[in-house]
Amino acid sequence: MGEYSLLIILFAPFFGAIALMFVPRQEALLVRMTAAISAGISLLASFYIFLAYDTAKGGFQFVQRYVWSEELGIAFYLGVDGIGGPLVFASAILLFAGIFVSWHIKDRTKEFYMFLLILAAATIGVFMSLDLFFLYFFYEMSVLPMYLLLGLWGSHTKGYLGMTDPEGRKLRDSIGFIFNFGSNSKEYAAMKLVLFLSAGAVVALMGILLIYHLSGLHTFDIVVLREQAHFSDTVATVIWMLIFFGFASIAPIWPLHSWSPVGHAAAPAATSMLHAGVLMKLGHFSIIRVAFEILPDTTREWMWVAAVLCVFSIIYGGLVSYFAKDTKYVIGYSSSSHMGYIFLGMAALSYISLSGAVIYMFAHALATSMLFAMAGWVYDQTHSRDIPSLGGLVEKMPFIAGAFIVACMASIGMPGTINFIAEVMIIVGSWDTYPFQVVVAVLGIVLTLAYMFKMMRGLFYGRLDPEYAHADDARHWVDRMPLILLIVCSITLGIFPGHFYEVVRSTVEPMVDRINHMAPLITQNTQGLLP
Amino acid sequence: MTFQLDLSVADLLLLLPEIFLTLWLCLLLSLDFSLKRMTHQQLAYLSIVGLAVTGLILLGFDQAGTTGALFKNMFVLDQMGIFFKLIIVGATALILFMSIEYVQDFRFFRGEYYVMVVMSALGMMFMASSNDLLSVFVTLEFSTFGFYVLVAYLRDDQRSSEAGLKFFILGVFAAGLLAYGISLVYGETGTLIFSEMTGTAGSYGLAIGYILIFAALGFKIGAVPFHAWIPDTYQGAPTPVTAFLSIAPKAAALAILIRMFYVSLASFKPMWVLLFVVASIFSMTYGNIVAIAQKNIKRLLAYSGIAQIGNIMIGLAAGTKQGSDAIMFFLLTYLFANLGAFAVIIAVSRVMKSDEIEDYSGLNRRSPFLAAAMLLFLLSLAGVPPLAGFIGKIYLFIAAMKEELYTLLIFGLINIVISMYYYLIVVKKMYINEPTDPSPILASMPIKIAVYVGIAGTVLLGVYPGPFIDWAVSASLMFSNIAGPTAAASLLPGG
Repeated sequence: MGEYSLLIILFAPFFGAIALMFVPRQEALLVRMTAAISAGISLLASFYIFLAYDTAKGGFQFVQRYVWSEELGIAFYLGVDGIGGPLVFASAILLFAGIFVSWHIKDRTKEFYMFLLILAAATIGVFMSLDLFFLYFFYEMSVLPMYLLLGLWGSHTKGYLGMTDPEGRKLRDSIGFIFNFGSNSKEYAAMKLVLFLSAGAVVALMGILLIYHLSGLHTFDIVVLREQAHFSDTVATVIWMLIFFGFASIAPIWPLHSWSPVGHAAAPAATSMLHAGVLMKLGHFSIIRVAFEILPDTTREWMWVAAVLCVFSIIYGGLVSYFAKDTKYVIGYSSSSHMGYIFLGMAALSYISLSGAVIYMFAHALATSMLFAMAGWVYDQTHSRDIPSLGGLVEKMPFIAGAFIVACMASIGMPGTINFIAEVMIIVGSWDTYPFQVVVAVLGIVLTLAYMFKMMRGLFYGRLDPEYAHADDARHWVDRMPLILLIVCSITLGIFPGHFYEVVRSTVEPMVDRINHMAPLITQNTQGLLP
Repeated sequence: MTFQLDLSVADLLLLLPEIFLTLWLCLLLSLDFSLKRMTHQQLAYLSIVGLAVTGLILLGFDQAGTTGALFKNMFVLDQMGIFFKLIIVGATALILFMSIEYVQDFRFFRGEYYVMVVMSALGMMFMASSNDLLSVFVTLEFSTFGFYVLVAYLRDDQRSSEAGLKFFILGVFAAGLLAYGISLVYGETGTLIFSEMTGTAGSYGLAIGYILIFAALGFKIGAVPFHAWIPDTYQGAPTPVTAFLSIAPKAAALAILIRMFYVSLASFKPMWVLLFVVASIFSMTYGNIVAIAQKNIKRLLAYSGIAQIGNIMIGLAAGTKQGSDAIMFFLLTYLFANLGAFAVIIAVSRVMKSDEIEDYSGLNRRSPFLAAAMLLFLLSLAGVPPLAGFIGKIYLFIAAMKEELYTLLIFGLINIVISMYYYLIVVKKMYINEPTDPSPILASMPIKIAVYVGIAGTVLLGVYPGPFIDWAVSASLMFSNIAGPTAAASLLPGG
């Protein structure tokens, strides 16, 4: 049972999606229950692997390998290490929560849950693939459902063009507008997202094919490639650049970020949650899995690129968040800004900073998805995301307001939440290598504080517009449960991070050693893993 | 050269599928004339039975490993020929399923329609087996003859007549080029059989001859710059015929291209690789960019077909055994996705009476099944996992990567993104836009069968391609010693 848990986690949502095809569309409750049960199975199994991951042993565990095509050197090869495991867990949490957050979707419920399950399963698939082909397979597969989720159940954006700073000057996201022809429709956002991510994906695919061919091994097996693949310097640099910028476009690193806030704003709540929570982490994860594992020397040489770009991500995203008036833009740009921290942690390449980056991926997933869930709730109740016109909602929705404050605190990195630990680790771990970036990162935290408070005040305090007098709180357990689940996870792990840290450390330390040449090339326990 | 036909009955066994289908064709024709009570549906199902038996015979040959050559190597039955014949027979059977409802609208010659379709299929089966230039010419004309009639079948429809005329004029022109090319090649080499040409020295006559032959075959597969007839013909022809045109002749012509370039021109590989790289880049880019502007779904698929042929030529440009394997696998994936898409188009146009992309607005509300099927087919054509088209494209890219054709790969990858755009435009219409008329669209049973087969193939080849890849690999074992790019020969004297 235990050894098949990865298959269960991966296929439960897929089979849920297939089962949904046969559920009659009038039976809305049955549709939701089917989705919830398949997500629940996935959640339980991923909780199991999170707990049962053997930190003493490290390396890839729960491995499953089935030859898929001998001719092309592809195997269906699954396994998680201390980086993939927690992210699989995070995806399963967000999927489960997302299903309850979107409980009230009326229009084509069946299709919605099918696409949501496929999206989440594909994301989970990336986190557990040990075969480059399947990594790309699931990666590309996770992009397409976004198009339909955004286009069908998303919402148009009104406030994008009208961002103003406090003095009333019009502001524009100049980079975002390079590809924005003045359109704010959800269709535009969906198309932009898919084309941007597909373009990033094919760049990465070029890198993957080069690895496949130029390593001379003609296999996609990451475990084999990381031990045996060697490239000349120029080739390795080219491949590294393709892999890094290909995957960084989904991360999204500045200046490749412009699809992301538009996409967040257009997406329905559950999709934003998965999107900001885990889909964006596919970028960091894939860079770690491909570039860090297969090209350690080039990574050491070139990772400063990420350290340079993350400064722009942090400051730029934070400033736009501060001036944005649309709740989802605030959260969306804050996500892009926070992704900069992960890049900083990855660039510094020390034990603590890289562990911090991995923990931050998990922590940010929980915090930002809470924010999106509640922004979605407020939007459903008031049909507005315009912060200046909202206000005083705390009277109407005390539970949501309370949870929102917790989520903001988590996002800022208050002690007691897992985000705090992650932020401190990134800042402490990166100080030696990149002191300037650390100063920027701390400024970024201050900025986060500012825009989170501003948004909180704008939404929940002040005068309540009578137009929104009908707005209601989340009263039913179905609506409260996902928020409580996310808060509990964030705080529990914030107070007891021991096991989590051990899991991450068991993988990160050998990896950093290998990149920094402090250990022999074969460092992880790969016994029985090589075919 | 004297021609002695010393054939035994055992030799003729190799021709069994073709002989059977010929006899069945005669049966169909005579039944249509003699039995007045016989409906065209019955005739259609009878044709499908004939094709099914042919398919079974071919499968039996494949299992038993029956191979051989007839008529002084003019006709060769090998694993690759069987593979292509199965694709042609399968495509034809699906086309017949899709036609049954459509033929209802013809006012005359309903029965003859099926006879013409099966006859073209027969011609293409011979094409897949032809092993010398003479039989290439004869079988190519044989199969195209049926299409000339079929394209113009809606004789009261101006577009159909226009399509027929364009197809005919350009087709005859291509035949002329082919004949001229063949005569040049024969003049230079003194032989018509592919396998006997391998050692010939290069000359201008040979080069021009082969370029002319390539032009004629490029016309059949619709590669840029020989694509001009495709959009109008696709749009004007009856939709099942369009579907037929979009896959079967391409498969047959590819069989010839592979045989010709891999066998008779093996020593000139570096030169024709360049030819295919250029043709592939232009086909992909032109097809995909022009497809964006299309308002008619049949024209969209026509341009997408040009782009897909560009993809297929990546395999030819690789010029290795893996390249031809990838082409065969890609054809399988293309067969299911493309025919499925045309089946949906037929079902929708039965209700809408037109083929505009605008008609697909809100298809998801009017028929969730057809919309979901179309979504799968289009995404497979776009190359999105876990669908068949994705594996097909990756297979081609891997083949090209092993030959280090970086420019070609870069264009191929960029084109994936471009193609995503116009396929998603259709998806947007189907799913996001609201229908102007919310009445449901119902598909008839035969169309549904074609759609189900398409879905099954698209998904199965995507998630479990192993056995099919192995099949493609074993089908072209004869190319396992294909000459590498080291061969120093030049097609031009002194070049």
